[in-house]
Amino acid sequence: MTSAVKQGPRHQRSGGGRRGWRFDLDRHPVWWLFPLALLLTAFYLYPVLEVVRTSFTDATLLNSAYSYTLASYRSVLADSALPQIWLATVIFVAGSVIGQTTLGLLIALTLEAGFRRRLPGVRTVQVVVLATWIIPGVASAIIWQLLLSEANFGFFNAMLGLFSLSPVPWLSDAKVAIWSATLANIWRGTALSMILLYAGLKTISPGLYEAAAVDGATALQAFRYITLPRLRPALLINAVIVSVFSLNTFELVMPLTGGGPGRSTEVLALAAYNAVFHDFNLAQGSVLAVLMLLLNLAFTAVYWLTSRGLR
Amino acid sequence: MNSRARNEAIPIYLALALILLFFALPLFWLLSLSIRTPAEILIAEVRIVPHSPTLQNFVEVLGNQQFLGYLWNGVTLSVVGAACACVAAAPASYAFSRLKFPGKTQLLFAVLGFQMISPLVIMLPLYRYMHALGLTESHLGAALVYAAVAAPIATWTLKGSFDAIPEELEEAAMIDGCTRSQAFLRITLPIGLPGLASTFILTTMLGWSQFIVPFILLSQPDMLPISVGIFNFLGAYTGSATQLVAAASVLSLLPAVVIFLFFQKFVVGALTAGALKE
Repeated sequence: MTSAVKQGPRHQRSGGGRRGWRFDLDRHPVWWLFPLALLLTAFYLYPVLEVVRTSFTDATLLNSAYSYTLASYRSVLADSALPQIWLATVIFVAGSVIGQTTLGLLIALTLEAGFRRRLPGVRTVQVVVLATWIIPGVASAIIWQLLLSEANFGFFNAMLGLFSLSPVPWLSDAKVAIWSATLANIWRGTALSMILLYAGLKTISPGLYEAAAVDGATALQAFRYITLPRLRPALLINAVIVSVFSLNTFELVMPLTGGGPGRSTEVLALAAYNAVFHDFNLAQGSVLAVLMLLLNLAFTAVYWLTSRGLR
Repeated sequence: MNSRARNEAIPIYLALALILLFFALPLFWLLSLSIRTPAEILIAEVRIVPHSPTLQNFVEVLGNQQFLGYLWNGVTLSVVGAACACVAAAPASYAFSRLKFPGKTQLLFAVLGFQMISPLVIMLPLYRYMHALGLTESHLGAALVYAAVAAPIATWTLKGSFDAIPEELEEAAMIDGCTRSQAFLRITLPIGLPGLASTFILTTMLGWSQFIVPFILLSQPDMLPISVGIFNFLGAYTGSATQLVAAASVLSLLPAVVIFLFFQKFVVGALTAGALKE
């Protein structure tokens, strides 16, 4: 019955000459997709191709003349600062993934347990966690700068002082600063992991736990043999999304540390920005941007394969 | 509550208290600094409620013409950007929801894939070619980039809301002689208005937080939105007037949090729809 209705207008309208043509135009997806395609082509696709092209030149922001060369790749890959940039990026991204996933899972499990028992106040805690995620990145950076500050208004050092511990140079020591930035990013991003993993937990049938309880399984065994395996797809997707978001993070690190002290917190995104807007070296900045792009695409491919596997 | 239930509730509440501490304390510290006097900022002491709380910092920040400009620019850019994103995304979402065409799934995924690309990657070439077109230092130019950045998620959430509208209504209209675009404009859009409004609110919120696009495209102080504005506040006042930085930050995050509290169910659903359902 429904399919007969669906067929109806098509038969009716593709009949006559001009009417049928207009209908086809109306029906053709190209016209519907055109505005979106235009916007994304002008502001995403073209710039992406342009950044790849520029990476094979010696272009600068100061001079409009350029020629094609591989020199920019050579100089970026040979740059003595590159290992430091990779190190900062890997600590920031891997630290964020591990921290957010662990914390997000613990929170999701706690909330789930609380909601299941209909305990009052659980919803409030959930809203507070979610609120941290909605706060603009720059504001989060400022919040963490005020917490980590080594001036008198710095919260963490004041707390340490309460216990007569010596202050920690959270943002001024090159070895500590990248971990401080990662902690700030975990605070900001955990809500996302929590949402993804909570949604994953909700897909596990309660019957499985009931059956396990009948068989005398402990809570830990149920977690190990039911929750974790069933949560694997959600954990994977969470890891991919958090990796991409952390890799792309600019608005948190820039106000928090500006890449310093030295270049200790200069993650890939900051390095690309600095190459272009501090050193005016458009080509080298583009090479770094291409590295980011390749990582973005690799993560997207993993994401696609994972979600295809889920269906 | 029997004793077993109570025994189970205690560890849950302990865990909830720890979670609350980690996530709420930084916010309270910001609030605490924002209501301090300049003298009390300098006392190294852990006190959430200051000795002499004051709203003077907020009065001072809101009396600053430049800060009001930042707020206004933030509203303009995020609203115009969100509106453009919705206008571009609505017909595309409709096509993804209703029409059958080859490569639809792949195309829909490609739209989502754009969201995985760092805005920084596109901003490097965009800066140069928008500069050549006279679109830097322009709210129009920046708003168009806001729209492009928000368009993928707008497409996904709008597709979700169109999917929820029964197709029979449009089919009836088309049998009565409407073209598909007339059916879209007269039937689907009006019925889908709540979904459209929610998408608009969501993309406006994302625009409010947008940092890298205005940071690179705009530099004149009277053009900057709030996100870049408080970054400049940070540079100008940390150390000398930290209480003002704190007050400005509170004002910058307040609208986002208030809107979120009103629309939290929808916002969370929209932001995770693409991630988990597919």
